Amino acid sequence: MAGKILADQIEHSTAGSVNTNFVVEGVAKCWITHQHGDSVDDSFNHSTLTDSGTGLFICNFTTSMASSKYIVGGGVGVYSSNGRGGDFSGMNMGGGGTDSRASDHCDVVIQVSSSGSSNSILSDRDWSMHIFHGDLA
Amino acid sequence: MIQTPSFKGTHLWDRLCWAKENLEGYQSDYRVVYEDSIDECAKILVPDPNWMAAAMQGGILPPVWVYWELAKDEAQPDFKKHTRGYLLHETKPVEAMTEEEAIEYLIMKDCPESVWKTYNVGNRPKMVICTKQQLPQTREWRNSWKIAA
Repeated sequence: MAGKILADQIEHSTAGSVNTNFVVEGVAKCWITHQHGDSVDDSFNHSTLTDSGTGLFICNFTTSMASSKYIVGGGVGVYSSNGRGGDFSGMNMGGGGTDSRASDHCDVVIQVSSSGSSNSILSDRDWSMHIFHGDLA
Repeated sequence: MIQTPSFKGTHLWDRLCWAKENLEGYQSDYRVVYEDSIDECAKILVPDPNWMAAAMQGGILPPVWVYWELAKDEAQPDFKKHTRGYLLHETKPVEAMTEEEAIEYLIMKDCPESVWKTYNVGNRPKMVICTKQQLPQTREWRNSWKIAA
């Protein structure tokens, strides 16, 4: 492949050095932004988005993760100022104890006014964003 | 049309990096609606535009059976971590697909096998392929959407 650089370490003139495996292992392995399942705006390493219901989605990966032990993050966006605080985007723990991560997909959830209380409700926001960190298969 | 490099043995991640950099995303109008539980509403599979571009370009994505093999490994009770990830990276990539072939591939990759293998067996269909315009245009009563009999 053109423009390929092979290096095990990158060194700064004064700030020290870092092994390139930290870079490879540290980057996000999948990310996606969408408008409540209507369509996928942009993404990387993502094959389909499944709209499973209000506030519930499944992100399916193209390159699988090495295992189901990876990190799930995300965020939401809304047009109005209503509901700006406390929105939550992350992995779905349906029933309170089910790990919804698999190496090839992750069930994600959008909740409004989540504060650990039982008042949180599933919701579709104007934009939803999900990001996954971990090791690839 | 840009030529796909020869990706023999290239890590799938690197192939996707090339696709992201060189291909324009393709927004398909197709949607796959399926039901995998009678207690839940219908699910809707939305194709990813970057994945569609890679599928229609050809020479980037692995054959779908690779995912089935990895799923078999993960279904084992003692599964900890994939040891056959090389299947994704070293299996010869598939040729260019039409939009319809790409949707069929996605169904077999991302829909439950219990749905697509027997989608029309039973009293009513468990899966339909439609266009985005055929879906309800608002998400009102989203949690009660079902496939029409």
